[in-house]
Amino acid sequence: MRVIVGGIGYRNLRDHSVGVVVTDHLEWREWPPHVVVEDLSYGPIAVVQRFEDEPPELRFDRAVFVAAAARGDGRPLGMVTAYRWDGVLPSAELIQGSVCEAVTGVIALDNTLIVGRHFRALPEEIIVVEVEPVEHEAGETFGPVVQRGFDSLCQLVTKLALDSAAVSRLPVTPLGGGVHPYPAVR
Amino acid sequence: MCFKNLPVEFDAQGKPFLREGVANPYAQGTAVAQGGSRQLGTEQIEELLRRNGHIKSVDFDPVTRVAGALAFHTVADLKARKVLEARSVATLFRGYEVIMIGRDPRDAIYITSRACGVCGGVHSTCSALAIEMAIGCCPPPLGVLIRNLALALEFLYDNPLHLHLLAGPDYSAAIVEPTNPSLFALAKKTEAPHAEVHGFRTMADLMTDLNPLSGKLYLEALHMTRVAREAYVLICGKYPHPQTIVPGGMSSTITLSVMNEMFLRLAQFFDYGKKIVGIWDDLTEFFYQANPEYKKVGARRANLIDTGIFDHHEAYDATYEGANDWGNRRWYTPGAIVDGKLVTTDLHSINMGLEEFVEHSYYEEWAGNGQKQRFPTDPAGKPLSPYHPWNKITKPRPEGQNWKEKYTWDTAPRWDRLGMEAGCYARLWNTAVAKRQPENPFIESTGHSLKVRLPRGALPEMEVEWHVPAVWNAFERNRARAHCVASTAMIAMNNWLAAMDILKAGDTRTSTKFEIPRKGEQRGVGFWGAGRGYLTHHLVLDRGAVANYQILTPSTWNASPTDRWGQPGPYEEAVLNTPLLEETDDPKQFRGIDILRAIRSFDPCMPCTTHIQSEGGLITREVNTCACGLDG
Repeated sequence: MRVIVGGIGYRNLRDHSVGVVVTDHLEWREWPPHVVVEDLSYGPIAVVQRFEDEPPELRFDRAVFVAAAARGDGRPLGMVTAYRWDGVLPSAELIQGSVCEAVTGVIALDNTLIVGRHFRALPEEIIVVEVEPVEHEAGETFGPVVQRGFDSLCQLVTKLALDSAAVSRLPVTPLGGGVHPYPAVR
Repeated sequence: MCFKNLPVEFDAQGKPFLREGVANPYAQGTAVAQGGSRQLGTEQIEELLRRNGHIKSVDFDPVTRVAGALAFHTVADLKARKVLEARSVATLFRGYEVIMIGRDPRDAIYITSRACGVCGGVHSTCSALAIEMAIGCCPPPLGVLIRNLALALEFLYDNPLHLHLLAGPDYSAAIVEPTNPSLFALAKKTEAPHAEVHGFRTMADLMTDLNPLSGKLYLEALHMTRVAREAYVLICGKYPHPQTIVPGGMSSTITLSVMNEMFLRLAQFFDYGKKIVGIWDDLTEFFYQANPEYKKVGARRANLIDTGIFDHHEAYDATYEGANDWGNRRWYTPGAIVDGKLVTTDLHSINMGLEEFVEHSYYEEWAGNGQKQRFPTDPAGKPLSPYHPWNKITKPRPEGQNWKEKYTWDTAPRWDRLGMEAGCYARLWNTAVAKRQPENPFIESTGHSLKVRLPRGALPEMEVEWHVPAVWNAFERNRARAHCVASTAMIAMNNWLAAMDILKAGDTRTSTKFEIPRKGEQRGVGFWGAGRGYLTHHLVLDRGAVANYQILTPSTWNASPTDRWGQPGPYEEAVLNTPLLEETDDPKQFRGIDILRAIRSFDPCMPCTTHIQSEGGLITREVNTCACGLDG
């Protein structure tokens, strides 16, 4: 089984950068040959093309995406939510909106997943680890809540990359973890 | 004599001066903008809405398939099929000018790049040019050429993306068939004149492959963004925010291998340029022939502005004093076009005529109330307005929206007090008319057209020709943008060839060493351009730190609100002139496709216009829950 761990987010945006900081942190560790850790924050269309470039015999079977996602729907700030994405896509109009956002520079978890799934570029098994950000302004450091949870976040992502049993225990849900309404995506 | 409104005259040597005897040359009443459409008064509109059931407010919030957050308010008379009021609303604040104050100027290259997720490189480059001018640092020839190549590649990403992913769906079967069924029926019977180039037998076939998500042209455009991006990162390291643009050139290491890798990708745009020109020529002519009223969609006075772009490596010296000379040797010629006539190609005159107004914008005035004007002249001693970017102070003042008062975060830039339009087509037009382009084997400026010879690929060698249009409207904007793909590809080819000559001669220098002065005050301006057109960064340095930084982007011009003389901004004017040709009498079915075609033809980029900094932090995407259901 080939696994890719991908961090998504803008840099220098405090808690919103948690995805890329996790993959920055993890990519220097010793990984078995079947696991790849990458910053996938270069735009959903380019991410699609990166997945499409993988030779057929080396296609990924699982992707673990880690990112901040401000759902703004009342879940506790700093909360980490992990789930298997059910892969259900929104309407064609919303997918088109995601593509437009993608080509005009929006880098976010939802549009990466929607665009990637629409173009059938992503692996069948998509694991999402998302963090409800607390600090929203520009800056190089996390706020205290996300900082406190950073090491355990890295451990969780590592476990989900390596441990299929742990993955199988995750709920299969829509984007956002299923507890919350489907996010508005233009 | 390029100024008709501002009291600026020129002596026998061509040196400008303010007309004598004018007490306050830049007062509102001294220099009054003339001509063009005018908005109806708010009271008149309210009265019309009250009295007539067929007159409706139609709001597009957000306007989709544009970059960033744009809202548009219209009042439409669905019986007379015309628009009575049009208001362009940039819904988010640009904070980059404020962020830059007090910083090391080199930060601008990286910070202002973030103004846009498509064209970060043009902001980085524009910053580098402004710094070069301020500190007196000129890149070596290869640095100029490589910079040109990088930005040409960025445009080859940007322009096809707009044509086939953002604007293209407006002309697709998925949109045309429900909004204008008779037009689509005609398209099924109409053979496409350039079928042998683009491969679509009928216009309906072509429209079908413009369909979003599934159309071949849509998918091909996604693929071509990759081709351009791959070539770009060979030079810039990263897209969209390059890491190798520096004052004095580029920090990239350029080898023959890099050049060859780049060429392999650039060459793919030779055939793509032929194809995209054929497609947009065919679409434009089809709509005109089907209904000549389409010539009025998005129509406005042909008032356009551009600073030109892509310096000649033997001409550029990074000085303000030399800007008229090096500007006129650019591959795309600078210019201001008023009512279809090119009135100047001099960067000094373009700069002298610039002003920004905030009557209808959420900012405080910084001039006109007795404040001292910091720079009465430019570095060459030529007069500047107190409203000029070098004199401007960004003072945000959010308040409630009111069409009579303030309603947008965009300012109202004006040149010679006229609402000018920016777009890649402005540079195409200037270049076609001015006949100043450097001698080269691929592009010929005829004075009324621009001929581009595209080399053989899978398609045979071909010449495409863009003619200065008789009317200026949404269709001509898109057609010209398609021609820009061809001409930009061949400008890149010219620069590639020149770079190869320099490399073969053993000169691999791409940058010049520089130091930021720690004493005194310096000024610089980056005269550059985005894929969407005009771009300037005006910089003031004080003891090594940024004392003022002002960004004027294409969409700042185009999305601008109505000004103090009642002149609407370009989007507003274009929408006011747009007939509603959609085939429905039912307000519930009305999608406003003609209005949307008018707006999208400008290729709006709202992150560039209003650079998205709020009290709550940096906003990367605004999710707006208002769904009026009118958007195509």
